Amino acid sequence: MDLQLFLLIIVVVTALAFDFTNGFHDTGNAMATSIASGALGPKTAVTLSASLNLVGAFLSTAVAATIAKGLVDAGLVTLEIVFAGLVGGIVWNLLTWLLGIPSSSSHALIGGIVGAMLAAVGGHGVIWKGLVSTVLIPAMLAPFIAGLVATIGTWLVYRAVKGVPEARTDRGFRYGQIGSASLVSLAHGTNDAQKTMGVIFLALISYGAASKTDTLPPFWVILSCAAAIAAGTYLGGWRVIRTLGKGLVEIKSPQGMAAETSSAAIILLSSHFGYSLSTTHVATGSILGSGVGKPGAEVRWGVAGRMAAAWLITLPSAAIVGAVTYFITHLIGGYAGAAVGFLLLVAVAGAIWLQSRKAPIDSKNVNDEWEGSLTAGTSEKVPAVKAESTSAV
Amino acid sequence: MNGWINPTAVFQIIVAGLIIGAGLPALFSIGVRLNAEGVGVVSHDGAAPQKNPMLNAVSWVLFAVVFAAVIIGVLFIARDFIAHNTGLYLLGAPHKK
Repeated sequence: MDLQLFLLIIVVVTALAFDFTNGFHDTGNAMATSIASGALGPKTAVTLSASLNLVGAFLSTAVAATIAKGLVDAGLVTLEIVFAGLVGGIVWNLLTWLLGIPSSSSHALIGGIVGAMLAAVGGHGVIWKGLVSTVLIPAMLAPFIAGLVATIGTWLVYRAVKGVPEARTDRGFRYGQIGSASLVSLAHGTNDAQKTMGVIFLALISYGAASKTDTLPPFWVILSCAAAIAAGTYLGGWRVIRTLGKGLVEIKSPQGMAAETSSAAIILLSSHFGYSLSTTHVATGSILGSGVGKPGAEVRWGVAGRMAAAWLITLPSAAIVGAVTYFITHLIGGYAGAAVGFLLLVAVAGAIWLQSRKAPIDSKNVNDEWEGSLTAGTSEKVPAVKAESTSAV
Repeated sequence: MNGWINPTAVFQIIVAGLIIGAGLPALFSIGVRLNAEGVGVVSHDGAAPQKNPMLNAVSWVLFAVVFAAVIIGVLFIARDFIAHNTGLYLLGAPHKK
């Protein structure tokens, strides 16, 4: 096996791993509100979302949607850079998942690739203007626009059903919420699986196994990317779901419906106007808005602030990981370099997973009362506390 | 698209976002309310609630509008796929060379 083929295989495997983390990191964007409001059981919600991501991935057709197009000089991209960039994206996705912070998977990937590019060729390999105007500025605007729409939507919803008993409205709003959340899931599958397909396709072209004139990636690429994102979604990023569904705002069905409709509308409209916004930024803005728009609701701005801080450091942090990975693999070089890089990734992922087992969050405790932080109150003492409070009532 | 930011597109996204993203939930909630009044669960003006088939019918029209919007949303997501496989260019699907 020659070195390029070895690198290609490593890049494909790593890209699918990234796609998988993309799936479980972003389950919450579509489903956190339905899970928190009780419109769907946690397991049902992730199953629905995974199916829709799978279908959505098969709807992707655009090979032109190569990641980092217009952000880095495509002529300078090598398999080593793509690999290091993917590592940056995966590590940042896993770290933020551990902390339960919804951060943008696409930003993590872009950050990783930009970092690897800087390490490989320096500043001239990066198209800075593209980075600012198509990534940074939209990312800053998205949460505010989505938040505004969701605030007004939520306010109008509560206004319209004022005086109607909740028992009467609840069923309708649950349907509305499930429908709008499903749209978000479908759009997510189409947009995000396509990014990984683009990465693999780019790698195939640089290896010579695919031609630039091909209109579609090979079928196995579509199939494996669809399967990876769906499997990740099904696994469920419960830590992120908990922050989005319980940490920011206490969500009821009407708010969930308004938030998800706002997210779906903004995501679809912006893609119509040629912007690709981060689903995460839009969904988080919408959920905050649904808290602002509901009369008397409490919004935990501290949690939102920590989240915003994480968003600001996503690009540079993923870039540092990408650059370090590039240095390591490139300095060792050859088969050994790629193998060491890959094993380091496995080791870091394993360590983060072990850390997460210390205070696991899953489908059973995802909806426990928020007691100041992600994991506070979710250990064994919770059932006892709950039993006490119900017996007191 | 030469500048750092495209104010026209941002403005269009906000306006259309408000109409679709806030308007549809509002329409749906009005449907829920009219439905509750139509079947005689609550009344509009505090009088004793009565059945009103007319309001009931209007509520279902509103639900149908919202449902149609969801279908359009799905078609929008699938528009490239549909164009690629059937040659049918819906909802402004971009033509490929």
